[in-house]
Amino acid sequence: MSPARAEARAAPAATRMARPGGLARLRAWRDQHAYSLVSSLGRFVQRPFATLLTVGVMAVAIALPLGLGLALANLQRLSGSLQESREIGVFLRVEVDAAQAERLATELRARRDVAAVELRTPAQGLAEFRQLSGLGDAAALLPDNPLPSVLRVTPLAGDGSRLAEQLQARPEVELVQHDADWRRRLAAWLGFGKTLALVLASVLGLGVLLVVGNTVRLEIGNRREEIAVLQQLGATDGFIRRPFIYLGAWYGLAAGAAALGLLALAGAMLRPSLAALAGSYGSAFALHGPEPLLAGLLLLAATAVGWLGAWLASGHHLRQTRPTDL
Amino acid sequence: MPLLKFDNVSKSYPGGQAALSELSFAVEPGEMLFVTGHSGAGKSTLLKLIHLSERPSRGTVLVADRNLRQVRGRQVALHRRQVGVVHQDHRLLMERSVFDNVALPLLIAGMPGAEVGKRVRSMLDKVGLAAREKARPRELSTGEQQRVGIARALVAQPLLLLADEPTGNLDPTLAGEIMQLFAALQAQGTAVLVASHDLALVRRMRKRVLVLDHGRLMDDIAPEELAA
Repeated sequence: MSPARAEARAAPAATRMARPGGLARLRAWRDQHAYSLVSSLGRFVQRPFATLLTVGVMAVAIALPLGLGLALANLQRLSGSLQESREIGVFLRVEVDAAQAERLATELRARRDVAAVELRTPAQGLAEFRQLSGLGDAAALLPDNPLPSVLRVTPLAGDGSRLAEQLQARPEVELVQHDADWRRRLAAWLGFGKTLALVLASVLGLGVLLVVGNTVRLEIGNRREEIAVLQQLGATDGFIRRPFIYLGAWYGLAAGAAALGLLALAGAMLRPSLAALAGSYGSAFALHGPEPLLAGLLLLAATAVGWLGAWLASGHHLRQTRPTDL
Repeated sequence: MPLLKFDNVSKSYPGGQAALSELSFAVEPGEMLFVTGHSGAGKSTLLKLIHLSERPSRGTVLVADRNLRQVRGRQVALHRRQVGVVHQDHRLLMERSVFDNVALPLLIAGMPGAEVGKRVRSMLDKVGLAAREKARPRELSTGEQQRVGIARALVAQPLLLLADEPTGNLDPTLAGEIMQLFAALQAQGTAVLVASHDLALVRRMRKRVLVLDHGRLMDDIAPEELAA
Protein backbone atom coordinates (compact mmCIF):
# COMPACT_ATOMS: atom_id res chain seq x y z
CA MET A 1 0.00 0.00 0.00
CA SER A 2 1.36 3.43 -0.99
CA PRO A 3 2.03 5.95 1.82
CA ALA A 4 -0.62 8.26 0.36
CA ARG A 5 -3.19 5.50 0.37
CA ALA A 6 -2.24 4.44 3.87
CA GLU A 7 -2.69 8.01 5.04
CA ALA A 8 -6.02 8.24 3.30
CA ARG A 9 -7.21 5.02 4.91
CA ALA A 10 -6.17 6.27 8.32
CA ALA A 11 -8.30 9.40 7.97
CA PRO A 12 -11.84 8.92 6.68
CA ALA A 13 -12.52 10.92 3.54
CA ALA A 14 -15.18 13.08 5.15
CA THR A 15 -12.73 14.40 7.67
CA ARG A 16 -10.49 15.64 4.85
CA MET A 17 -13.15 18.21 4.01
CA ALA A 18 -12.24 20.33 7.00
CA ARG A 19 -15.18 21.82 8.88
CA PRO A 20 -15.05 25.58 8.33
CA GLY A 21 -14.53 27.91 11.32
CA GLY A 22 -17.20 30.11 12.89
CA LEU A 23 -16.53 33.16 10.72
CA ALA A 24 -16.38 31.05 7.57
CA ARG A 25 -19.69 29.39 8.48
CA LEU A 26 -21.22 32.82 9.02
CA ARG A 27 -19.98 33.90 5.60
CA ALA A 28 -21.34 30.71 4.08
CA TRP A 29 -24.70 31.33 5.75
CA ARG A 30 -24.69 34.88 4.37
CA ASP A 31 -23.72 33.59 0.90
CA GLN A 32 -26.53 31.01 0.96
CA HIS A 33 -29.09 33.64 1.90
CA ALA A 34 -27.77 36.08 -0.70
CA TYR A 35 -27.93 33.33 -3.32
CA SER A 36 -31.50 32.41 -2.36
CA LEU A 37 -32.54 36.06 -2.27
CA VAL A 38 -31.20 36.80 -5.75
CA SER A 39 -32.28 33.51 -7.35
CA SER A 40 -35.81 33.88 -5.94
CA LEU A 41 -35.97 37.41 -7.36
CA GLY A 42 -34.92 35.93 -10.71
CA ARG A 43 -37.82 33.46 -10.53
CA PHE A 44 -40.15 36.26 -9.48
CA VAL A 45 -39.48 38.25 -12.66
CA GLN A 46 -39.04 35.22 -14.91
CA ARG A 47 -42.78 34.93 -15.68
CA PRO A 48 -43.95 38.55 -15.64
CA PHE A 49 -47.59 37.95 -16.63
CA ALA A 50 -48.24 35.28 -14.01
CA THR A 51 -46.40 37.35 -11.42
CA LEU A 52 -48.42 40.44 -12.34
CA LEU A 53 -51.72 38.56 -11.91
CA THR A 54 -50.75 37.14 -8.54
CA VAL A 55 -49.40 40.44 -7.24
CA GLY A 56 -52.49 42.21 -8.61
CA VAL A 57 -54.90 39.96 -6.71
CA MET A 58 -52.87 40.33 -3.54
CA ALA A 59 -52.59 44.11 -3.97
CA VAL A 60 -56.37 44.52 -4.31
CA ALA A 61 -56.90 42.37 -1.22
CA ILE A 62 -54.49 44.57 0.73
CA ALA A 63 -55.75 47.86 -0.74
CA LEU A 64 -59.43 47.29 0.17
CA PRO A 65 -59.16 47.29 3.96
CA LEU A 66 -56.31 49.80 3.85
CA GLY A 67 -58.42 52.12 1.70
CA LEU A 68 -61.34 51.77 4.10
CA GLY A 69 -59.04 52.51 7.02
CA LEU A 70 -57.68 55.61 5.31
CA ALA A 71 -61.19 56.80 4.41
CA LEU A 72 -62.19 56.46 8.05
CA ALA A 73 -59.07 58.28 9.20
CA ASN A 74 -59.91 61.14 6.84
CA LEU A 75 -63.52 61.16 7.99
CA GLN A 76 -62.38 61.22 11.58
CA ARG A 77 -60.06 64.12 10.81
CA LEU A 78 -62.94 65.94 9.13
CA SER A 79 -65.25 65.33 12.06
CA GLY A 80 -62.50 65.88 14.60
CA SER A 81 -63.31 69.53 15.05
CA LEU A 82 -66.98 68.65 15.50
CA GLN A 83 -66.10 65.91 17.96
CA GLU A 84 -63.90 68.19 19.95
CA SER A 85 -66.29 71.13 19.77
CA ARG A 86 -68.52 70.98 22.79
CA GLU A 87 -69.94 74.47 22.39
CA ILE A 88 -73.55 75.06 23.31
CA GLY A 89 -75.40 77.59 21.19
CA VAL A 90 -77.88 79.55 23.36
CA PHE A 91 -80.36 81.62 21.33
CA LEU A 92 -82.02 84.21 23.59
CA ARG A 93 -85.52 85.52 23.10
CA VAL A 94 -85.70 88.54 20.77
CA GLU A 95 -87.11 90.68 23.55
CA VAL A 96 -83.99 90.13 25.67
CA ASP A 97 -81.94 93.29 25.27
CA ALA A 98 -78.18 93.70 25.18
CA ALA A 99 -77.83 94.53 28.87
CA GLN A 100 -79.85 91.45 29.92
CA ALA A 101 -77.80 89.33 27.57
CA GLU A 102 -74.55 90.69 29.04
CA ARG A 103 -75.77 90.00 32.57
CA LEU A 104 -76.63 86.45 31.65
CA ALA A 105 -73.21 85.99 30.04
CA THR A 106 -71.50 87.30 33.19
CA GLU A 107 -73.61 84.99 35.35
CA LEU A 108 -72.71 81.99 33.24
CA ARG A 109 -68.98 82.87 33.21
CA ALA A 110 -69.08 82.67 37.01
CA ARG A 111 -70.30 79.05 36.95
CA ARG A 112 -67.81 76.32 37.81
CA ASP A 113 -68.93 74.09 34.96
CA VAL A 114 -68.40 76.75 32.28
CA ALA A 115 -65.05 77.32 30.63
CA ALA A 116 -65.97 80.27 28.40
CA VAL A 117 -68.92 82.33 27.25
CA GLU A 118 -68.97 84.43 24.11
CA LEU A 119 -71.80 86.88 23.49
CA ARG A 120 -72.77 87.63 19.91
CA THR A 121 -75.07 90.59 19.67
CA PRO A 122 -77.82 90.82 17.03
CA ALA A 123 -75.72 93.41 15.17
CA GLN A 124 -72.72 91.05 15.04
CA GLY A 125 -75.01 88.25 13.90
CA LEU A 126 -76.46 90.33 11.08
CA ALA A 127 -73.00 91.42 9.91
CA GLU A 128 -71.88 87.80 9.82
CA PHE A 129 -75.05 86.81 7.95
CA ARG A 130 -74.39 89.49 5.32
CA GLN A 131 -70.79 88.33 4.88
CA LEU A 132 -71.35 84.59 4.67
CA SER A 133 -74.78 84.21 3.10
CA GLY A 134 -74.29 86.45 0.07
CA LEU A 135 -77.74 87.89 0.84
CA GLY A 136 -76.46 91.23 2.09
CA ASP A 137 -78.76 93.24 -0.23
CA ALA A 138 -81.83 91.34 0.95
CA ALA A 139 -80.86 91.85 4.59
CA ALA A 140 -80.61 95.59 3.96
CA LEU A 141 -84.29 95.64 3.06
CA LEU A 142 -85.32 94.41 6.52
CA PRO A 143 -86.86 97.19 8.67
CA ASP A 144 -85.41 95.79 11.96
CA ASN A 145 -82.72 93.33 12.91
CA PRO A 146 -84.70 90.13 13.52
CA LEU A 147 -81.75 88.22 15.00
CA PRO A 148 -81.53 87.46 18.70
CA SER A 149 -78.50 87.67 20.94
CA VAL A 150 -76.63 84.41 21.01
CA LEU A 151 -74.36 83.00 23.71
CA ARG A 152 -71.70 80.45 22.81
CA VAL A 153 -71.07 78.52 25.98
CA THR A 154 -68.13 76.11 26.29
CA PRO A 155 -68.55 73.62 29.13
CA LEU A 156 -65.52 73.00 31.33
CA ALA A 157 -65.75 69.20 31.20
CA GLY A 158 -67.95 66.47 29.78
CA ASP A 159 -70.25 66.88 26.80
CA GLY A 160 -72.30 69.65 28.51
CA SER A 161 -75.65 67.87 28.27
CA ARG A 162 -76.66 68.82 31.82
CA LEU A 163 -75.60 72.42 31.34
CA ALA A 164 -77.60 72.55 28.09
CA GLU A 165 -80.70 71.28 29.92
CA GLN A 166 -80.32 73.91 32.63
CA LEU A 167 -79.88 76.68 30.06
CA GLN A 168 -82.94 75.53 28.16
CA ALA A 169 -84.99 75.93 31.36
CA ARG A 170 -84.13 79.60 31.77
CA PRO A 171 -86.85 82.12 30.82
CA GLU A 172 -84.50 84.32 28.71
CA VAL A 173 -83.63 81.38 26.46
CA GLU A 174 -85.56 80.62 23.29
CA LEU A 175 -83.50 77.70 21.99
CA VAL A 176 -80.45 75.71 23.00
CA GLN A 177 -78.48 74.03 20.21
CA HIS A 178 -76.46 71.11 21.51
CA ASP A 179 -75.79 68.14 19.19
CA ALA A 180 -74.43 65.65 21.70
CA ASP A 181 -76.59 62.84 20.33
CA TRP A 182 -75.38 63.46 16.80
CA ARG A 183 -71.78 63.45 17.94
CA ARG A 184 -72.30 60.22 19.86
CA ARG A 185 -73.82 58.60 16.78
CA LEU A 186 -70.95 59.77 14.60
CA ALA A 187 -68.44 58.36 17.09
CA ALA A 188 -70.34 55.05 17.09
CA TRP A 189 -70.31 54.91 13.27
CA LEU A 190 -66.60 55.65 13.17
CA GLY A 191 -65.98 52.93 15.75
CA PHE A 192 -68.04 50.50 13.70
CA GLY A 193 -66.11 51.48 10.56
CA LYS A 194 -62.80 50.81 12.30
CA THR A 195 -63.96 47.38 13.42
CA LEU A 196 -65.22 46.64 9.90
CA ALA A 197 -61.84 47.66 8.47
CA LEU A 198 -60.12 45.37 10.97
CA VAL A 199 -62.37 42.42 10.13
CA LEU A 200 -61.89 43.04 6.40
CA ALA A 201 -58.13 43.29 6.89
CA SER A 202 -58.13 39.96 8.75
CA VAL A 203 -60.26 38.15 6.16
CA LEU A 204 -58.44 39.59 3.16
CA GLY A 205 -55.09 39.09 4.91
CA LEU A 206 -55.99 35.40 5.12
CA GLY A 207 -56.79 35.61 1.40
CA VAL A 208 -53.33 37.05 0.71
CA LEU A 209 -51.80 34.25 2.75
CA LEU A 210 -53.69 31.64 0.72
CA VAL A 211 -52.80 33.26 -2.61
CA VAL A 212 -49.09 33.25 -1.73
CA GLY A 213 -49.35 29.71 -0.41
CA ASN A 214 -51.00 28.49 -3.59
CA THR A 215 -48.52 30.33 -5.82
CA VAL A 216 -45.59 28.85 -3.95
CA ARG A 217 -47.28 25.43 -4.04
CA LEU A 218 -47.42 25.66 -7.84
CA GLU A 219 -43.79 26.79 -7.95
CA ILE A 220 -42.84 23.82 -5.77
CA GLY A 221 -44.75 21.56 -8.16
CA ASN A 222 -42.72 22.93 -11.07
CA ARG A 223 -39.50 22.27 -9.18
CA ARG A 224 -40.37 18.90 -7.72
CA GLU A 225 -37.46 17.16 -9.45
CA GLU A 226 -35.00 19.80 -8.32
CA ILE A 227 -36.17 19.40 -4.73
CA ALA A 228 -35.76 15.64 -4.98
CA VAL A 229 -32.19 16.11 -6.22
CA LEU A 230 -31.40 18.51 -3.39
CA GLN A 231 -32.79 16.05 -0.86
CA GLN A 232 -30.63 13.31 -2.39
CA LEU A 233 -27.58 15.53 -2.03
CA GLY A 234 -28.23 16.05 1.68
CA ALA A 235 -29.98 19.41 1.71
CA THR A 236 -31.85 20.15 4.92
CA ASP A 237 -35.47 21.28 4.87
CA GLY A 238 -34.27 24.79 5.67
CA PHE A 239 -31.98 24.87 2.64
CA ILE A 240 -34.76 23.63 0.34
CA ARG A 241 -37.34 25.97 1.82
CA ARG A 242 -35.23 29.12 1.74
CA PRO A 243 -35.69 30.19 -1.94
CA PHE A 244 -39.45 29.56 -1.73
CA ILE A 245 -39.74 31.63 1.44
CA TYR A 246 -37.82 34.47 -0.21
CA LEU A 247 -40.12 34.12 -3.23
CA GLY A 248 -43.17 34.49 -0.95
CA ALA A 249 -41.59 37.52 0.68
CA TRP A 250 -40.99 39.10 -2.75
CA TYR A 251 -44.66 38.54 -3.62
CA GLY A 252 -45.74 40.14 -0.34
CA LEU A 253 -43.44 43.12 -0.75
CA ALA A 254 -44.53 43.70 -4.36
CA ALA A 255 -48.21 43.37 -3.42
CA GLY A 256 -47.80 45.84 -0.55
CA ALA A 257 -46.09 48.34 -2.86
CA ALA A 258 -48.76 47.83 -5.52
CA ALA A 259 -51.51 48.36 -2.92
CA LEU A 260 -49.93 51.66 -1.90
CA GLY A 261 -49.71 52.58 -5.59
CA LEU A 262 -53.40 51.74 -6.10
CA LEU A 263 -54.39 53.91 -3.14
CA ALA A 264 -52.21 56.78 -4.34
CA LEU A 265 -53.91 56.53 -7.73
CA ALA A 266 -57.38 56.47 -6.17
CA GLY A 267 -56.44 59.43 -3.98
CA ALA A 268 -55.19 61.41 -6.98
CA MET A 269 -58.47 60.72 -8.80
CA LEU A 270 -60.68 61.73 -5.84
CA ARG A 271 -58.71 64.74 -4.61
CA PRO A 272 -59.89 67.41 -7.14
CA SER A 273 -63.61 66.61 -6.86
CA LEU A 274 -63.38 66.37 -3.06
CA ALA A 275 -61.56 69.70 -2.91
CA ALA A 276 -64.37 71.27 -4.98
CA LEU A 277 -66.99 69.73 -2.67
CA ALA A 278 -65.22 70.90 0.49
CA GLY A 279 -64.69 74.34 -1.04
CA SER A 280 -68.42 74.70 -1.59
CA TYR A 281 -68.81 74.37 2.21
CA GLY A 282 -66.04 76.86 2.81
CA SER A 283 -63.71 74.10 3.99
CA ALA A 284 -60.10 73.51 2.99
CA PHE A 285 -60.40 69.78 3.71
CA ALA A 286 -58.07 67.59 1.63
CA LEU A 287 -57.57 63.81 1.48
CA HIS A 288 -54.51 62.50 3.30
CA GLY A 289 -52.71 59.34 2.16
CA PRO A 290 -50.91 56.94 4.50
CA GLU A 291 -48.11 58.41 6.61
CA PRO A 292 -44.58 57.18 5.75
CA LEU A 293 -44.48 55.12 8.96
CA LEU A 294 -47.79 53.43 8.12
CA ALA A 295 -46.62 52.78 4.54
CA GLY A 296 -43.41 51.23 5.89
CA LEU A 297 -45.35 49.06 8.35
CA LEU A 298 -47.70 47.97 5.59
CA LEU A 299 -44.78 46.87 3.38
CA LEU A 300 -43.29 45.02 6.32
CA ALA A 301 -46.59 43.31 7.17
CA ALA A 302 -47.25 42.34 3.53
CA THR A 303 -43.72 40.89 3.25
CA ALA A 304 -44.27 38.97 6.49
CA VAL A 305 -47.58 37.55 5.24
CA GLY A 306 -45.91 36.47 1.97
CA TRP A 307 -43.10 34.88 3.95
CA LEU A 308 -45.57 33.05 6.21
CA GLY A 309 -47.67 31.76 3.29
CA ALA A 310 -44.57 30.40 1.56
CA TRP A 311 -43.29 28.89 4.81
CA LEU A 312 -46.55 27.03 5.36
CA ALA A 313 -46.81 25.81 1.75
CA SER A 314 -43.19 24.64 1.53
CA GLY A 315 -43.41 22.98 4.95
CA HIS A 316 -46.52 21.10 3.88
CA HIS A 317 -44.80 19.89 0.69
CA LEU A 318 -41.71 18.72 2.56
CA ARG A 319 -43.85 16.82 5.06
CA GLN A 320 -45.77 15.21 2.19
CA THR A 321 -42.67 14.09 0.28
CA ARG A 322 -40.71 12.81 3.26
CA PRO A 323 -41.01 9.05 3.76
CA THR A 324 -42.82 8.48 7.03
CA ASP A 325 -40.03 6.40 8.53
CA LEU A 326 -37.22 8.96 7.89
CA MET B 1 -13.06 -1.24 10.97
CA PRO B 2 -15.24 -1.57 7.86
CA LEU B 3 -16.68 1.59 6.37
CA LEU B 4 -19.92 -0.15 5.42
CA LYS B 5 -21.41 -3.19 7.05
CA PHE B 6 -24.64 -5.06 6.26
CA ASP B 7 -25.61 -7.47 9.02
CA ASN B 8 -28.49 -9.85 8.15
CA VAL B 9 -30.33 -7.11 6.32
CA SER B 10 -33.73 -7.84 4.79
CA LYS B 11 -36.08 -5.51 3.01
CA SER B 12 -39.62 -6.35 2.03
CA TYR B 13 -42.44 -4.15 0.81
CA PRO B 14 -46.02 -4.37 2.04
CA GLY B 15 -47.82 -7.08 0.09
CA GLY B 16 -44.79 -7.82 -2.06
CA GLN B 17 -41.98 -10.26 -2.03
CA ALA B 18 -38.68 -9.64 -0.29
CA ALA B 19 -36.39 -7.24 -2.18
CA LEU B 20 -33.41 -8.26 -0.02
CA SER B 21 -33.02 -11.31 2.24
CA GLU B 22 -30.52 -11.68 5.08
CA LEU B 23 -27.76 -9.81 3.35
CA SER B 24 -24.41 -9.63 5.14
CA PHE B 25 -21.18 -8.13 3.84
CA ALA B 26 -18.64 -5.46 4.72
CA VAL B 27 -16.74 -2.85 2.70
CA GLU B 28 -13.40 -1.38 3.78
CA PRO B 29 -12.45 2.31 3.31
CA GLY B 30 -11.04 2.89 -0.16
CA GLU B 31 -12.37 -0.41 -1.48
CA MET B 32 -14.10 -0.60 -4.87
CA LEU B 33 -16.62 -3.32 -5.54
CA PHE B 34 -19.41 -4.19 -7.92
CA VAL B 35 -22.90 -5.38 -7.11
CA THR B 36 -24.30 -7.31 -10.00
CA GLY B 37 -27.36 -9.36 -10.79
CA HIS B 38 -30.29 -9.42 -13.15
CA SER B 39 -33.02 -6.82 -13.12
CA GLY B 40 -34.96 -7.04 -9.84
CA ALA B 41 -32.11 -8.76 -8.02
CA GLY B 42 -32.09 -6.03 -5.36
CA LYS B 43 -29.15 -3.87 -6.50
CA SER B 44 -31.01 -0.57 -6.38
CA THR B 45 -32.70 -1.45 -3.07
CA LEU B 46 -29.31 -2.11 -1.56
CA LEU B 47 -28.07 1.33 -2.65
CA LYS B 48 -31.27 2.99 -1.33
CA LEU B 49 -30.71 1.45 2.11
CA ILE B 50 -27.18 2.84 2.26
CA HIS B 51 -28.35 6.27 1.08
CA LEU B 52 -31.26 6.22 3.52
CA SER B 53 -33.86 6.59 0.81
CA GLU B 54 -35.39 3.54 2.49
CA ARG B 55 -34.91 1.61 5.68
CA PRO B 56 -34.39 -2.12 6.14
CA SER B 57 -37.23 -4.28 7.44
CA ARG B 58 -34.77 -6.27 9.51
CA GLY B 59 -31.05 -6.27 10.24
CA THR B 60 -28.49 -3.52 10.67
CA VAL B 61 -26.71 -1.23 8.24
CA LEU B 62 -23.63 0.50 9.61
CA VAL B 63 -21.81 3.33 7.83
CA ALA B 64 -18.60 4.52 9.51
CA ASP B 65 -19.70 2.54 12.58
CA ARG B 66 -23.01 4.39 12.75
CA ASN B 67 -26.23 2.41 12.82
CA LEU B 68 -28.46 3.94 10.16
CA ARG B 69 -31.57 2.83 12.02
CA GLN B 70 -30.80 5.53 14.58
CA VAL B 71 -30.32 8.27 11.98
CA ARG B 72 -33.45 10.45 11.96
CA GLY B 73 -34.67 13.87 10.87
CA ARG B 74 -31.90 16.35 10.10
CA GLN B 75 -29.28 13.62 10.60
CA VAL B 76 -30.57 11.93 7.42
CA ALA B 77 -29.51 14.99 5.40
CA LEU B 78 -26.11 15.06 7.11
CA HIS B 79 -25.65 11.33 6.40
CA ARG B 80 -26.44 11.82 2.72
CA ARG B 81 -23.68 14.43 2.46
CA GLN B 82 -21.19 11.68 3.29
CA VAL B 83 -22.51 9.42 0.55
CA GLY B 84 -22.09 10.48 -3.08
CA VAL B 85 -24.55 9.01 -5.59
CA VAL B 86 -24.21 8.67 -9.36
CA HIS B 87 -27.42 7.80 -11.19
CA GLN B 88 -27.82 6.27 -14.61
CA ASP B 89 -30.11 9.17 -15.61
CA HIS B 90 -27.68 11.76 -14.13
CA ARG B 91 -30.44 13.75 -12.36
CA LEU B 92 -28.84 17.08 -13.18
CA LEU B 93 -30.61 20.40 -12.82
CA MET B 94 -31.10 21.35 -16.46
CA GLU B 95 -31.69 25.06 -15.83
CA ARG B 96 -28.42 25.47 -13.99
CA SER B 97 -24.91 25.54 -15.38
CA VAL B 98 -22.42 22.70 -15.07
CA PHE B 99 -20.59 24.75 -12.42
CA ASP B 100 -23.77 25.29 -10.39
CA ASN B 101 -24.69 21.60 -10.58
CA VAL B 102 -21.30 20.50 -9.29
CA ALA B 103 -21.27 23.24 -6.64
CA LEU B 104 -24.56 22.11 -5.08
CA PRO B 105 -23.18 19.63 -2.50
CA LEU B 106 -20.66 22.23 -1.31
CA LEU B 107 -23.31 24.94 -1.02
CA ILE B 108 -25.52 22.52 0.87
CA ALA B 109 -22.60 21.74 3.18
CA GLY B 110 -22.23 25.47 3.85
CA MET B 111 -18.83 25.99 2.24
CA PRO B 112 -17.83 29.64 1.61
CA GLY B 113 -18.19 30.84 -1.98
CA ALA B 114 -14.48 31.29 -2.73
CA GLU B 115 -13.63 27.76 -1.58
CA VAL B 116 -16.57 26.39 -3.58
CA GLY B 117 -15.16 27.94 -6.76
CA LYS B 118 -11.73 26.39 -6.21
CA ARG B 119 -13.05 22.93 -5.48
CA VAL B 120 -15.58 22.86 -8.30
CA ARG B 121 -13.00 23.94 -10.90
CA SER B 122 -10.52 21.40 -9.61
CA MET B 123 -13.15 18.64 -9.85
CA LEU B 124 -14.28 19.71 -13.32
CA ASP B 125 -10.65 19.60 -14.38
CA LYS B 126 -10.38 16.01 -13.10
CA VAL B 127 -13.39 14.86 -15.14
CA GLY B 128 -12.23 16.78 -18.23
CA LEU B 129 -14.98 19.39 -18.22
CA ALA B 130 -13.05 22.49 -17.15
CA ALA B 131 -13.92 24.24 -20.41
CA ARG B 132 -17.66 23.53 -20.09
CA GLU B 133 -18.41 24.98 -16.65
CA LYS B 134 -20.79 27.61 -18.01
CA ALA B 135 -22.68 25.24 -20.27
CA ARG B 136 -26.16 23.98 -19.42
CA PRO B 137 -26.39 20.16 -19.10
CA ARG B 138 -28.67 19.92 -22.14
CA GLU B 139 -25.84 21.33 -24.26
CA LEU B 140 -23.63 18.37 -23.28
CA SER B 141 -23.38 14.85 -24.65
CA THR B 142 -24.66 11.93 -22.55
CA GLY B 143 -21.12 11.04 -21.55
CA GLU B 144 -20.38 14.60 -20.52
CA GLN B 145 -23.59 14.75 -18.50
CA GLN B 146 -22.55 11.56 -16.73
CA ARG B 147 -19.20 13.11 -15.90
CA VAL B 148 -20.97 16.15 -14.45
CA GLY B 149 -23.00 13.77 -12.28
CA ILE B 150 -19.82 12.05 -11.14
CA ALA B 151 -18.12 15.38 -10.42
CA ARG B 152 -21.13 16.41 -8.34
CA ALA B 153 -21.04 13.13 -6.41
CA LEU B 154 -17.32 13.46 -5.67
CA VAL B 155 -16.78 17.17 -5.09
CA ALA B 156 -17.62 17.02 -1.37
CA GLN B 157 -15.18 14.11 -0.93
CA PRO B 158 -17.71 11.58 0.38
CA LEU B 159 -16.82 8.57 2.49
CA LEU B 160 -18.63 6.35 0.06
CA LEU B 161 -19.62 6.65 -3.59
CA LEU B 162 -22.68 4.75 -4.82
CA ALA B 163 -23.12 4.39 -8.57
CA ASP B 164 -26.31 2.89 -9.97
CA GLU B 165 -25.69 1.63 -13.51
CA PRO B 166 -23.37 4.57 -14.17
CA THR B 167 -22.31 3.34 -17.60
CA GLY B 168 -25.70 2.18 -18.83
CA ASN B 169 -25.98 4.78 -21.58
CA LEU B 170 -22.33 5.03 -22.48
CA ASP B 171 -20.17 3.46 -25.18
CA PRO B 172 -17.53 0.97 -23.96
CA THR B 173 -14.63 3.43 -24.26
CA LEU B 174 -16.37 6.09 -22.17
CA ALA B 175 -17.60 3.45 -19.72
CA GLY B 176 -14.00 2.31 -19.27
CA GLU B 177 -12.83 5.90 -18.66
CA ILE B 178 -15.44 6.42 -15.99
CA MET B 179 -14.51 3.18 -14.28
CA GLN B 180 -10.87 4.27 -14.26
CA LEU B 181 -12.01 7.50 -12.63
CA PHE B 182 -13.77 5.49 -9.91
CA ALA B 183 -10.76 3.27 -9.44
CA ALA B 184 -8.58 6.35 -8.93
CA LEU B 185 -10.76 7.30 -5.95
CA GLN B 186 -9.36 4.35 -4.02
CA ALA B 187 -6.16 6.31 -3.61
CA GLN B 188 -8.18 9.01 -1.81
CA GLY B 189 -9.73 6.53 0.59
CA THR B 190 -13.23 6.78 -0.88
CA ALA B 191 -15.03 3.45 -1.09
CA VAL B 192 -16.90 2.90 -4.35
CA LEU B 193 -19.89 0.61 -4.74
CA VAL B 194 -21.08 0.20 -8.33
CA ALA B 195 -24.36 -1.53 -9.19
CA SER B 196 -24.11 -2.85 -12.73
CA HIS B 197 -25.44 -5.68 -14.85
CA ASP B 198 -22.65 -5.19 -17.41
CA LEU B 199 -20.70 -8.37 -16.67
CA ALA B 200 -18.06 -7.70 -19.30
CA LEU B 201 -17.21 -4.41 -17.65
CA VAL B 202 -17.23 -6.01 -14.21
CA ARG B 203 -14.80 -8.71 -15.34
CA ARG B 204 -12.55 -6.17 -17.04
CA MET B 205 -12.21 -4.08 -13.87
CA ARG B 206 -11.11 -7.05 -11.74
CA LYS B 207 -12.59 -5.78 -8.49
CA ARG B 208 -14.56 -7.55 -5.77
CA VAL B 209 -18.07 -8.52 -6.96
CA LEU B 210 -21.23 -9.19 -4.96
CA VAL B 211 -23.71 -11.26 -6.95
CA LEU B 212 -27.37 -10.83 -6.03
CA ASP B 213 -30.27 -12.99 -7.11
CA HIS B 214 -33.83 -12.38 -5.93
CA GLY B 215 -32.53 -10.31 -3.05
CA ARG B 216 -30.06 -12.93 -1.80
CA LEU B 217 -26.30 -12.67 -1.84
CA MET B 218 -25.34 -15.62 -4.05
CA ASP B 219 -21.63 -14.94 -4.28
CA ASP B 220 -18.90 -12.64 -3.00
CA ILE B 221 -16.06 -12.89 -5.54
CA ALA B 222 -12.62 -11.56 -4.65
CA PRO B 223 -10.54 -9.74 -7.34
CA GLU B 224 -8.00 -12.58 -7.39
CA GLU B 225 -10.69 -15.06 -8.33
CA LEU B 226 -11.73 -12.89 -11.27
CA ALA B 227 -8.16 -12.63 -12.43
CA ALA B 228 -7.96 -16.38 -12.42
